[in-house]
Amino acid sequence: MPPVIKRWPLSLLALAVTGAAALAQVQLPERYRIAGQLRWGADAEGGAPFVYTDPAKPDAGEVGFEVDLAQALGERLGVPCRRVQAGYESLVQVLDRGDCDVVLNGFEPTPARRPLVRFTRPYYIFQQQLSVGPDVTGVNGLGDLAGKRVGVLGQSASHQLLREQYPTIEAVIYESSVTAYEDVVNGRNAGSLADLPIARALRPLFPRLVDVGEPFGEFYYCMAVRLGDADLQQALDDAIGQLLANGTLERIYRKWNMWVPAEQRLGDAAVAAMFTRDHSGAAQDGDAPAMAWGEVWLLLFAGALRTFGISVTSFAIAVVLGLCIALLRLHGPPPLRIAAIAYVEVLRGTPILVQMLLLYYGLGSIKGMQLPAEVAGVLGLALNYAAYEAEIYRGALSAIPRGQREAALALGLTGVQTLRHVVVPQALRLSLASSTNDFIALFKDSSIVMVITVVELTKQYNMLANATGRFIVLGLLTSGIYLLMSLPLAYAARRFERALDRDAA
Amino acid sequence: MITLRGVTKRYGGRTLFERLDVQFAPGRTTVITGRSGSGKSTLLRLCNQLERHDEGTVALDALTIPAGLPHAEWHRRATALRRRTGMVFQGYHLFPHLSVRDNVTLAPRLLHGLAPDAAAARAQQVLDLVGMAAAADRFPARLSGGESQRVAIARALAMEPEVLLLDEPTSALDPLSTADVVAVIRSLRARGITQVMVTHNPELAQSLADHLIEMPVR
Repeated sequence: MPPVIKRWPLSLLALAVTGAAALAQVQLPERYRIAGQLRWGADAEGGAPFVYTDPAKPDAGEVGFEVDLAQALGERLGVPCRRVQAGYESLVQVLDRGDCDVVLNGFEPTPARRPLVRFTRPYYIFQQQLSVGPDVTGVNGLGDLAGKRVGVLGQSASHQLLREQYPTIEAVIYESSVTAYEDVVNGRNAGSLADLPIARALRPLFPRLVDVGEPFGEFYYCMAVRLGDADLQQALDDAIGQLLANGTLERIYRKWNMWVPAEQRLGDAAVAAMFTRDHSGAAQDGDAPAMAWGEVWLLLFAGALRTFGISVTSFAIAVVLGLCIALLRLHGPPPLRIAAIAYVEVLRGTPILVQMLLLYYGLGSIKGMQLPAEVAGVLGLALNYAAYEAEIYRGALSAIPRGQREAALALGLTGVQTLRHVVVPQALRLSLASSTNDFIALFKDSSIVMVITVVELTKQYNMLANATGRFIVLGLLTSGIYLLMSLPLAYAARRFERALDRDAA
Repeated sequence: MITLRGVTKRYGGRTLFERLDVQFAPGRTTVITGRSGSGKSTLLRLCNQLERHDEGTVALDALTIPAGLPHAEWHRRATALRRRTGMVFQGYHLFPHLSVRDNVTLAPRLLHGLAPDAAAARAQQVLDLVGMAAAADRFPARLSGGESQRVAIARALAMEPEVLLLDEPTSALDPLSTADVVAVIRSLRARGITQVMVTHNPELAQSLADHLIEMPVR
């Protein structure tokens, strides 16, 4: 053996081996090589520090530590990685449908998800951070928040932690961490629990938030592939191993100010194998988590009750408001007529989703205007549907023959009495069919309140289905519940209409 | 007594009548006839201010409505005038969502503050007068034209008007129904109720009129 080799220190030897490994590409399964790309699913909404567009540098395109990670992975795998937008809570479904090949989005291997997908070795270790509003005092940890509202990202490790370890805390589910923090700042919620990287990345947006206690726990981000993609998981595991060994991961994490000493443990065999499935296991029906049907029914029933309450209340307001607007438009003084026209055009011409977000988050950012979520939901639906109702009533009021009004006036009734006792009752009968239609539409549209954290029937279904993967069974069940509620209503309206027809025939 | 003094009515650029002086004698039946477009219905509608006049004064005894009143004041006086006059339309204009009884009692309940019992009694009385007492619970859609017009007369009578205005009350009716309605008008005339009727039917005019007004063709 030449002396020169003998003198090589061990560390240099290791470096040489690692360097060789760094040069060698990981063997990607052939189908992905042929496809020429690997599509990774992630949600860029409120996505810092994972994947997001920096408002200060919109030209830079999407940035984030996972964007860097995906690029590094692509170099290891020999194909470019392209991101596919998907809602955070639907990542598993998007993966299952084949719309992406791998989930890479701060995705935690929660017990609920483990039977549904195949997880890679962890690529990041993190902790949880509790933050509270500036006016909250006497809170030193989650233990002090019993009975209080705490915002979490739906289907996240934070959500799971609250559910399992702090059942007395009311977990309020958000689809974005930004809105979860917003509701702490405006006082709707006592606090928000989030992954530390999220807490750190979003802190500049919410300088008034206060972190409570030290970060705690140990949690992992893993990538996820379809159950049948064992070979892709293997390739990704290998690629992560190489990025770890050649220092790329550390470089990326340091760049994003996310490197903590705990990351050194990513290389431990025990950590690497933590969420690895038995590789022989393909997707099996038996893998779906067992469902506690009693609890499922209870949750769906609670959701249905809320949907019913929200729909009935908001429609009652919409009918009264819509009628007032229609009457103002037809009989009001000119300025109010213009206001009524403007109301209808604005509310009909803008998406209800935007109106709902404005009402809840927009208005919520003004001091003293923090409507509770359910109130904002009812109000949002009522204000929007009032515009449609107003148009229905305007048409019906205009359709009442002039002679009816003249006959009432000739008897000496005042204008208001004429409307109240003669014109409006007839117009309401005339508009019954259209109004019933509108109510059934509102009934289904009421699911939109889920964007402002209200857990009604559709949201409950969404959460249950995401947790169990039983989309079909639960979907049919949920549809059945909707039908059970809307069919009797349609039937009652039809009977009422027929009774009126008998009088009028 | 309804009096029109120097009343002018214009429609668009056209003058229907100019500086007209008419009064309708109490307890008598006055019939206004004339060709289509002569303004006879408009004249009747001026009497309860469903149309406004351009000049002159419309009066019911001391209640005067000169032309050109501000809207609020005109509205107040017109409503007062309408509460003392009854009107029957060619097309009946019964309220389809109310039963015959409720059609008849709506105005007395709202305007005279009649209790339900008293209102029902008054309905019974006026429906008896027009021979429609048995139909009190029916809805207008279930009535023939002649029945509808008789209910419309009962509805106007329920307010105990000082004058009953009838605008072509039989024009939309078949001969049999016409006979029923004419019989009612005749019985009201016999009871001394002041009536002003517009018709384009000369025979009807002749047979019912205590006093006949023929609108000139302009």
